[in-house]
Amino acid sequence: MKTLIVKAVELTRIYHLGASVIVAVNKANLEIEEATFVSIMGPSGSGKTTLLNLIGLCDHPTSGKVFFKRKDTSLLTEKERRKIRLLNIGFVFQTFNLLPTLTALENVELPMALAGIPSNVQRERATQLLETVNLGNRLRHRPKELSAGEMQRVAVARALANDPFLILADEPTGELDSEMGAEIVKLIWDLCRKRKTTVIVVTHDEYITRISDINYRISDGSIKRG
Amino acid sequence: MPIIAVGATTSRYFSIIKEMNLLYSGDIIVIARGSIFVQAVPIGGSLQENTVDKVKHVEGVKAAVPMLCVIGLSTYKYSLAQLVPLNVTIGIPLGNWSFLVGTTPLRPGGSWPSTDSSQEEVVIGTYLAQRYSLIVNSTIRTKNHELRVAGILDTPSAILTRTIIMPLEVAQEIHGYNMLINMIVVEPQEGITEKELVDRIEEEIGGVKALTDDERNEIIEPILRDVEAWNLGIRSVLFSISMLIVMIVATTNVSERKIEFATLDAIGAPKSCILRMVIIETGLIGLFGCVGGILLGVVAAVLMISFYASVPVSFVLPDLFVIVTPTMMLGTLLSVVVLSCIAGVIPAMVAARISKTEALR
Repeated sequence: MKTLIVKAVELTRIYHLGASVIVAVNKANLEIEEATFVSIMGPSGSGKTTLLNLIGLCDHPTSGKVFFKRKDTSLLTEKERRKIRLLNIGFVFQTFNLLPTLTALENVELPMALAGIPSNVQRERATQLLETVNLGNRLRHRPKELSAGEMQRVAVARALANDPFLILADEPTGELDSEMGAEIVKLIWDLCRKRKTTVIVVTHDEYITRISDINYRISDGSIKRG
Repeated sequence: MPIIAVGATTSRYFSIIKEMNLLYSGDIIVIARGSIFVQAVPIGGSLQENTVDKVKHVEGVKAAVPMLCVIGLSTYKYSLAQLVPLNVTIGIPLGNWSFLVGTTPLRPGGSWPSTDSSQEEVVIGTYLAQRYSLIVNSTIRTKNHELRVAGILDTPSAILTRTIIMPLEVAQEIHGYNMLINMIVVEPQEGITEKELVDRIEEEIGGVKALTDDERNEIIEPILRDVEAWNLGIRSVLFSISMLIVMIVATTNVSERKIEFATLDAIGAPKSCILRMVIIETGLIGLFGCVGGILLGVVAAVLMISFYASVPVSFVLPDLFVIVTPTMMLGTLLSVVVLSCIAGVIPAMVAARISKTEALR
């Protein structure tokens, strides 16, 4: 029996913009088990990123709950949520969000440094991860010296740095051409299969939905399994 | 940042020289410590040479040395900007040199003028030697006198480098002070206080003003205090401005790197890490700015002194660390770095509060 990694119960997030009220996520319910590749599709503004932020403990729901390995995250302090983000969740962003002053190697080492892992272990593991994403020859390059595809591969390596059990990817192919996008998705898919990592990808990309174990569709904040 | 270093390195030095020149109408000379300085009233007037005999007869006077000090100001059209006179002639009776220059050494090969009055010998400062290409045994021809350079003073003192020390009689003749002097330096006998002696001199000899070390300092002190107060004010304003600039730079830096800080927050970096990062960066901005400022300030100080005092840059360089002391540099550096770190606190707090959900959209 697979372990339940994430469970969302009646998850709701409401924003107030002046006089208007925006229901970004409306009573979303989902259950995601370990080593599952999940895609969430939906049009722009449908609440995909908001849902990902809630699952990734970057945001607080207006109502409802997120359980992380059956643990109620609403009971966690900010410090504990931060620790979960650091150690148990890997983030892959649409615009890569690499630190421009750091090299590829340093970017991958960063989460490990924040977790207090010894520097020799950081270096060894970061090098290994970058070699896994076929960037063994780009260790000392800074983001501006890398192509978009290479930057996203560095971001994937960074997401895996602390060996998390959940990867959250927010439109990881959004800034890439279709060929490069497919390559990155395949890379994430392969790595997560090997490592038994759960992946939740928010996307517009039909290709991702085809290779996913579970597809969700979100529209006007409401989520349905597709 | 550069402004701080310029302010800290040059203003005090210049202000003091300028103020002293204004007060004494340029009549600044170096008087050995512990001596009493007798001058005609009003200051700048002259005394009959025989006044020195009257002073010698005052009880408690061990020695009294007459002097004639003539300031040679530039006739150059920019002379108003000149803070230090072009040259200073000091006439002093033969053999009394130490009264004037204390233990100031001479350059190798030189000697103090002989006590033979038939020899018209002078000692000159290094600036004059260099400016007029004079060496020991060179001859200076002026108003029917041929003055042999017996020695060259080995001192970087702004005044002494441009001084010509010569026998009193020669100085009087050259400058038309027939039997006149404009100051007397008095050495008190042991057991008598300077104050007592000063009172006696002023009482027994009319038309003179006698000043002790303390009284000389008392005259200068309010000016120095004003100068210090001004400098403190200027420094405070400049420090505040620099803090503000550092804060603006840091805030701009933070606002341009919102995504970076939001990413750090999202991947779980502690707030303290973001705070520390911004504060260290701001401190480094201050450090590099200050190093640059000190270097620019030193260059500016050297050029300004060279320009205003009409001395070559090579004259100022050996004295550089006297004007801008290493302690002063280190103090400036440290205070700027500390203030920059303080200025970085608010931008750091802004960085730590950036909403990751907003920045990562």
